[in-house]
Amino acid sequence: MAEISSSRSLWERLPQPLRSNSGVLTTFVLLALLPFVIALFEGKPPSAVWANQAGTSKFVQGLAIEIFILAVYAISYDLIFGITGLLSFGHAMFFGASAYLTGVMLKSFGWNLWTTLGLVIVLGGVNALLFAIVLPRVKGITFALVTLGMAAVFHIVVQSRELGAYTGSDVGLQGVIVPDFISPASQRLRFYFVALLLMYLVYLLYRRFVSSPTGRVCIAIRENEGRALMLGYNTFYFKLAALTISSITAALAGFLHTLYQPIVTPNVAGLGYTISALLIVLIGGVGTLNGALIGAAVFRLLDFGLRRYLGESASFVSGVVYVAIVLFVPYGIVGTWYLKRLQIRQGWTRLVERFRHSSEA
Amino acid sequence: MNGLLVSLRKNLALWIIMGVLLALLIMAIRGMPTKDWVITLLRSFSAGAVIFLVASGFSLIFGLLDVLNLAHGTLFMIGAYLGWTVFVRPDTFVDLLPLGALLGSGFMLGPVWESLSLASRLPERLRRILPWMGLAAAVAILLYVLPHYPITAWDLDRYDASPVTYAYLADQGLFVPPEPEKFEGMAPALGLATVVFASLLATLSLTSLTQPILAAEVRPKMRWQPLAAFAAIVAVGLLIFAFNDALTNFLLGLNTTWLFFIAMLVASLTGFGLGALMESTLIRPLYSRPIYQLMLTLGLSAMGIELVRAVWGRPEFTMPKPALFSGSGDGCPATTLAGWLEHQCSTLLILDGRVRVYNEIFIPLVGILVLLAVWILLKRSRLGMIIRAGVQDRQMVEALGINVKRVFTLVFGLGVGLAALGGVLAGPSTGLGSAMGDTVLLNALIALAIGGLTSYPGAAIGSLMVGLLQQFIIKYGAIGIPIPFTDIVFKPTPPLVPASTVLLMVIILLVMPNGLLGKKE
Amino acid sequence: MSNLLEIQDIHTFIGQYHILQGVSVEVPAGTITALLGRNGAGKTTTLKSVLGLTPPRQGRVVFNGRDLRGLRSYEIAALGIGFVPEHRAIFRALSVEENLKIAERRKGDLQKRQEMIFSLFPDLERLIRLSGGNLSGGQQQMLAVARALVPENHLLLIDEPTEGLAPVIIESMMKAILHLSADTTVVLVEQNFLVASQLAEHYVIIEEGMSVKQGKMADLVNDPDTIRRYLGAA
Repeated sequence: MAEISSSRSLWERLPQPLRSNSGVLTTFVLLALLPFVIALFEGKPPSAVWANQAGTSKFVQGLAIEIFILAVYAISYDLIFGITGLLSFGHAMFFGASAYLTGVMLKSFGWNLWTTLGLVIVLGGVNALLFAIVLPRVKGITFALVTLGMAAVFHIVVQSRELGAYTGSDVGLQGVIVPDFISPASQRLRFYFVALLLMYLVYLLYRRFVSSPTGRVCIAIRENEGRALMLGYNTFYFKLAALTISSITAALAGFLHTLYQPIVTPNVAGLGYTISALLIVLIGGVGTLNGALIGAAVFRLLDFGLRRYLGESASFVSGVVYVAIVLFVPYGIVGTWYLKRLQIRQGWTRLVERFRHSSEA
Repeated sequence: MNGLLVSLRKNLALWIIMGVLLALLIMAIRGMPTKDWVITLLRSFSAGAVIFLVASGFSLIFGLLDVLNLAHGTLFMIGAYLGWTVFVRPDTFVDLLPLGALLGSGFMLGPVWESLSLASRLPERLRRILPWMGLAAAVAILLYVLPHYPITAWDLDRYDASPVTYAYLADQGLFVPPEPEKFEGMAPALGLATVVFASLLATLSLTSLTQPILAAEVRPKMRWQPLAAFAAIVAVGLLIFAFNDALTNFLLGLNTTWLFFIAMLVASLTGFGLGALMESTLIRPLYSRPIYQLMLTLGLSAMGIELVRAVWGRPEFTMPKPALFSGSGDGCPATTLAGWLEHQCSTLLILDGRVRVYNEIFIPLVGILVLLAVWILLKRSRLGMIIRAGVQDRQMVEALGINVKRVFTLVFGLGVGLAALGGVLAGPSTGLGSAMGDTVLLNALIALAIGGLTSYPGAAIGSLMVGLLQQFIIKYGAIGIPIPFTDIVFKPTPPLVPASTVLLMVIILLVMPNGLLGKKE
Repeated sequence: MSNLLEIQDIHTFIGQYHILQGVSVEVPAGTITALLGRNGAGKTTTLKSVLGLTPPRQGRVVFNGRDLRGLRSYEIAALGIGFVPEHRAIFRALSVEENLKIAERRKGDLQKRQEMIFSLFPDLERLIRLSGGNLSGGQQQMLAVARALVPENHLLLIDEPTEGLAPVIIESMMKAILHLSADTTVVLVEQNFLVASQLAEHYVIIEEGMSVKQGKMADLVNDPDTIRRYLGAA
């Protein structure tokens, strides 16, 4: 009892920002410890992790890196789709263009990592402008179709034989030499932390953005664009801002993707990859931001687990899972949690109470 | 004259676009010898007709229900595979018929279930759980019974009994049905009764799941019609089961042209049933959460594709053409329509060019027939009137005393039925593969975006444009386009085919955001 | 005189918003009852709740002695309730004739009442082939009322029939409503108090989702305090 009260006072002494972000902090610490914990379970000392020895820990780090990258990509989609209410079917272009640009610059032009990163960010801005040009003309589902079209053209161009020397046509881009200090093979742990940090930075920045005045207007646009216009906001600029932030974030995810993956296939620019983002956001909960992160983990782990244990019929089961999520988790994982928080907590308390009673009896 | 001017001024953008496209078409035509462009035009109509069958259903559903049915392409594919089964393996089809009838029999009792589930005074928690338990029990029963149920089919693991082989045998006219299967380890009467029971259990559960929880004092009247329909459909199922061999032999003895029409009919009806089932059970609860419809239809699409792969296998295979379009003996290729009818040739000579009668004449013909039939349905029938009114204002239609939900189910079924018909139609010309659905859905989406998402004539025009563009680019990929003032001959590469339609869509949407014939919102 | 329609303390939610927080209305058979109140008070929602378009979560609606709870909108309408929505919601893609025809509940409904409808709204007969979208505002409103007259209705719910119409057309609209109230009960939502006071015999004032006052129109006209308090203008 005494322990609890002392820890509580310690808790209260923490500065406010830390306290209100306790969930974020806890998960960050847990994720940072994850590689070492797994090594311990495996019976290896933490130094083995440090030395990037092969083993379960390294493998799990690899899977986690993929999830982090996917999460950054998905959260960028949540910003324009979930927060601002723009339905785009061309989001994969943001990701794919940057992934290809990174690969081509490093491989064919021998640029160094940092200039490439700069160029990738510029590309993110350019892509956002490209999508924004059509914004004043087309709304709703038509915007979705136009973006689908632009991304489809990019997808086809990337696969064309004429660019094969650079992009590897339909096989994909391979043989990108990644600098040693960040190499996913020899410096896996470092890569793990870079990806983890990027995900948390993006998440915190996005949360800040959403609660900023600009973000509030974006939400207003989603709820009722006409009203936002009438209040005197030029909604175009706010949509452009959201698109730009989203596009640059997706470009960063694409940049890491190329560094991490041995081969960049044209799939990352295809409609299927946009649909992945949409599914992740829907699984997690539209417009919740952290839903995108949780959704990415569920999506990737589901895919990984199903393929491992079911092989070819995996996509049937994942189809069943999606339908089940729509029926039973009606607003995505986080969205439903927010909505039913009270009920779920009450149910949990009741369960604990019952358990306590039965154990007392 | 004055009216024409007014309409010209009102739709200036539309007329300019149509003019430019027409000019492009004329230029494309003038770059080819006559026989080439005639055939290319016919091929465009054929491609356009298949796209139209998918696009029109999609647009009807989107217009009235606001549902983007991303599983529409998969349903097109399922239609093709079903049609193939009826056409190539009539014995399998006859085996499946009673099963389908018995499984579907429970749905006839829908109104009875509704009043039952309303009248039940169970506590709410039980009302939530019981339907799921019922559904699970029905699935478990079926999982136990179905392996015993006799269905003579192909075997994916044996090449000599695989769908690929059967498609080849049917094409050569060498198909001999294998020995029919019998109920194994189970009395037939028991097996059939269990299937009916499972169907009753499943439909009762489904009804109480989708039923809103209403005040208990409301009790709809019981009617006798559902009971009669149920009895009738069970009787038909049992009769077919009893006279299985006779029916199989009859179908096998039939001219394959007739068999093909039966295949078209069966696929459309099954598509209709699938669509109606999908709408009334899965889509209906989601009208308040439109975004999640996307996820649902995507999930269903993935399931459908895997299901097709599991049942019919992954390798692509062909579907033979019906007898009327497959002759190749004396007098072929025919030079006149009469000659074609006499010898039932697969090809016809037009301007010394060989035209495949099925692909380039029959498919466009069916497309036009469906176009007219649906047009008349929309313009002349009460259902069409309700659909057109519902596209604008569903609530008001309901407030007039019209059961809009039933109309929704009908329209969803109709849309899916059209797609399934398109699938059967496309089968003999393009072959069957599990990617056929996605390709056609993308084309249909592009066609609809061009023509206007909820406009029926727009769907037709958009499909035609996509067909024309694709076929002319394919043709020019073979003969090349000489670029003026240079010696360069530009040959469009295959990836340019989808790219060109997508580009056309983007350009048209930027000029006219609602498509060519779409209404302004 | 018995009540054709009784709304008993209904509570209606739209999404999570509690729009109606206790509305009770009694509509005697054969009369015109006006729902009065400011913009956004819940008058339209009351009409929609009767029809089940926004079903009430609490309370009940009794029509002709029948509890409407649990019935779907189309079933309620089929009991003989006609609805004339605000903003002239006619079907723009349908011709005038089709707009009338779609309201038929039995084959031949239109045939039977055609004469009566066209004598009330002679314009419509002339425009019968035109599509609804091409009509003027006044003509659209006439069509919306005419549509509610096609089937045999015992009760008409009319929402803002004179909104945004020219004075001449308002007058003919009023005449039409008076005429048809001879054999039909009418519930009228009307912003224009002058119009409402001339048409209706009973009134109900709705304020912030609650019915606050009801009685005979004759009494309200002589009660400027109430008018000022709830309706703003005198």
